[in-house]
Amino acid sequence: MHIGDTPQEAAFRAEARAWLEAHAALRDPAAPAPEMDLANHVGHCRTWQATLAEHGWAGITWPAAFGGRGGSAIQSAIFAEEQARFDVATGAFAVGIGMVGPTLIAHGTTEQQERFLGAMLRGEHIWCQLFSEPGAGSDLASVGTRAERTDGGWVVNGQKVWTSLGQFADWGILLARTDPSVPKHAGITYFCVDMTTPGIEVRPLTQITGVAHFNEVFLTDVFIPDDGVIGATGDGWSVARTTLLSERSFIGSGTGQWSVDDLIDTARRLGRNEDPVVRQGLAAAVCRARTLEYLGYRLRTAMSQGRMPGAEMYVMKLAYAKHWAATADTAMAILGAGGALGDFSPAAASHHVEGDDKWASMFLTQYAIRLGGGTDEVQRNIIGEQALGLPREPAADRGVPWKELALR
Amino acid sequence: MNFDLTEDQQVIADLAEQILAGQMSVDRLKVAERGAGWDPDVWAALAEANLVSLCLPEHLGGSGMGAIELALLAEAQGRNLAPVPLVPTVVTAMAVAEFADAGTHDELLASVVDGSILVTSALASPGVNDPLVPGVRATPTSDGGWRLEGTKPAVPYGAESAAVAVPAQLADGTSLVALVRTDAPGVTLDAERTTNHQPAASLTLDTEVAATDVLGTPGDEAAEVTRWLYEHTVAAMCSVQVGVAEGALAMTAAHVSDRQQFGRPLSAFQAVTQRAADAWITTEAMRVTSRNAAWRLGAGLDARRDVSVAAWWATDGGQKVVTACQHLHGGIGADVDYPVHRYFLWGVQNGTTLGAASAHLARLGGLLARS
Repeated sequence: MHIGDTPQEAAFRAEARAWLEAHAALRDPAAPAPEMDLANHVGHCRTWQATLAEHGWAGITWPAAFGGRGGSAIQSAIFAEEQARFDVATGAFAVGIGMVGPTLIAHGTTEQQERFLGAMLRGEHIWCQLFSEPGAGSDLASVGTRAERTDGGWVVNGQKVWTSLGQFADWGILLARTDPSVPKHAGITYFCVDMTTPGIEVRPLTQITGVAHFNEVFLTDVFIPDDGVIGATGDGWSVARTTLLSERSFIGSGTGQWSVDDLIDTARRLGRNEDPVVRQGLAAAVCRARTLEYLGYRLRTAMSQGRMPGAEMYVMKLAYAKHWAATADTAMAILGAGGALGDFSPAAASHHVEGDDKWASMFLTQYAIRLGGGTDEVQRNIIGEQALGLPREPAADRGVPWKELALR
Repeated sequence: MNFDLTEDQQVIADLAEQILAGQMSVDRLKVAERGAGWDPDVWAALAEANLVSLCLPEHLGGSGMGAIELALLAEAQGRNLAPVPLVPTVVTAMAVAEFADAGTHDELLASVVDGSILVTSALASPGVNDPLVPGVRATPTSDGGWRLEGTKPAVPYGAESAAVAVPAQLADGTSLVALVRTDAPGVTLDAERTTNHQPAASLTLDTEVAATDVLGTPGDEAAEVTRWLYEHTVAAMCSVQVGVAEGALAMTAAHVSDRQQFGRPLSAFQAVTQRAADAWITTEAMRVTSRNAAWRLGAGLDARRDVSVAAWWATDGGQKVVTACQHLHGGIGADVDYPVHRYFLWGVQNGTTLGAASAHLARLGGLLARS
């Protein structure tokens, strides 16, 4: 057991830090909000991603054959830690590089890997995820969007929802039902779809924070050629598991938009640091943050030893969501009436809320964190089954052909 | 970065588990609870396997291991509810080896190593959660020794121990830590019973110790010895609590998977699964924070914040886990013929012994928020 950087890791950290210092400015937590709408944010993400790729810092864990750095999970985490201190934008590539890339590396054909991975790393393609539907949320495997055979490909009809940054995406990953006559997990196929294909309509959904990060996506007679199928036809659920595992580990890894240290500074600045209740709130926040850090170490250790991470991943996602909500409560208690300040109307919405407004934004964002990528309750059920070995919950739909479920 | 145990550490963890799981049984626990409150045969087995001496220096007959290896022993103790003085005796012996003048207590430590005597520390003070508030006064004697007067409550295994490490306050407000022989004149130990049946004693001192019985140097530096004792004790108790939570949860998972109501196992009800899952998450949070604290102590790094973080999880979280496990057992858990209640008693007792959760939060808050 060794906590902290090994000499090799320290050297990598120094190299990353030196490069970041030469190519980006440090983030100033107290700086006023830059007026930056979502489109601007996405533009900044593209520019930064291109810079990373140009200098060999994109896709740190990806094999060199795919344009990556061929590094370790620990190096990737070290780079992310260092990068979080700088004023750079990365969020638009969370789906592509964080989720689609690992899925293509595991399940894509050589042609698909050559076609998409390099462009993704260079910031040329933004990807979105067309998974959830109005009728398929926690029960994702019940998706009803249909893909039917046609000459040279498939015709897709249906509706998707909670599509992050769909309005800016160049490509999407899509789960659609190709065989309704078999049980729900068996009849799904995983596609990639060009978002400029005729028949795709993206309608932004404005959230409680005023930002339209999510979208509804309507698909009407959308044609996807045969080379858009990832993995085997009907095997989409096992391909999707690779994607979902990547999503949960991403959500658990933190965003860098706020930190407990920021909150302690805020308490000092507002003269609330001598209040014993505030102090206990800050101390509890540190306890939770440290735990996430150590769980992350364990996850990274497992990955660096070539082991598949276990239930830690579900713990990270759930613990992070709880940490977010409880720390937001403490932030509101510190700010008092100041916590109610901030313009969260769609017109004023900026993607990046800095200064004290960011705590209100963080408070309002908590539900997205707790529900996205698998709700708190779904995570707990998985922990019950996988970590504690409890019997699976009886499911009324197990083994029933999907088309018969709709009739029930 | 490597959060895994080394191969040697895994061997130690496996050996401790093998011995304790092999020795402990519900019947043995009942015998201990009705009698002395602890199990000397289990202690002898640990000494025989060189686990009592594991964390003592090699020149004193130990294996030269440290806080992280003690944490692994402590986790196994908690999992198996082994009523032995692992934390007080090992931590006190480690402190004697670390701070006493070389050679002055080798005979005492040799008897600890072979399992023939116990040692302990008096770290609690009535109503005060600060271990640096001693409750015992020390005044110099004419022959260079010290006179000690005062009382200390809840000394674990006090009456069973041959020596007690006691922090005491000097007239100038600084302190010392003395190693007091319990058979010396003027040392009184009144036996107390505790919630989980392990022995404790109230210590009354009206006695003298020699200069060589002082650990470290009297004065400002002695606070470091007290802090060392406190932090190592709390970190190790956190690890016991991890084992308690883990054992309680394993018993609970088996129970709710087995017991059928309304035609299906209890665990098939989401309300049950979700509460168990939360308890598992808390247990893992306790494990990573306590192992981190132990690792930092073993590496000689500043661990004040880390020990407080681990202690908050162990006190607040640990008690939540054993409460959930007790609850998920339903009525059967209230029957003392069924074993799960022991985890509850251990969990609650460890929680109080460590100092309340709010005290750890207050200490940590003070470290963090001070301008």
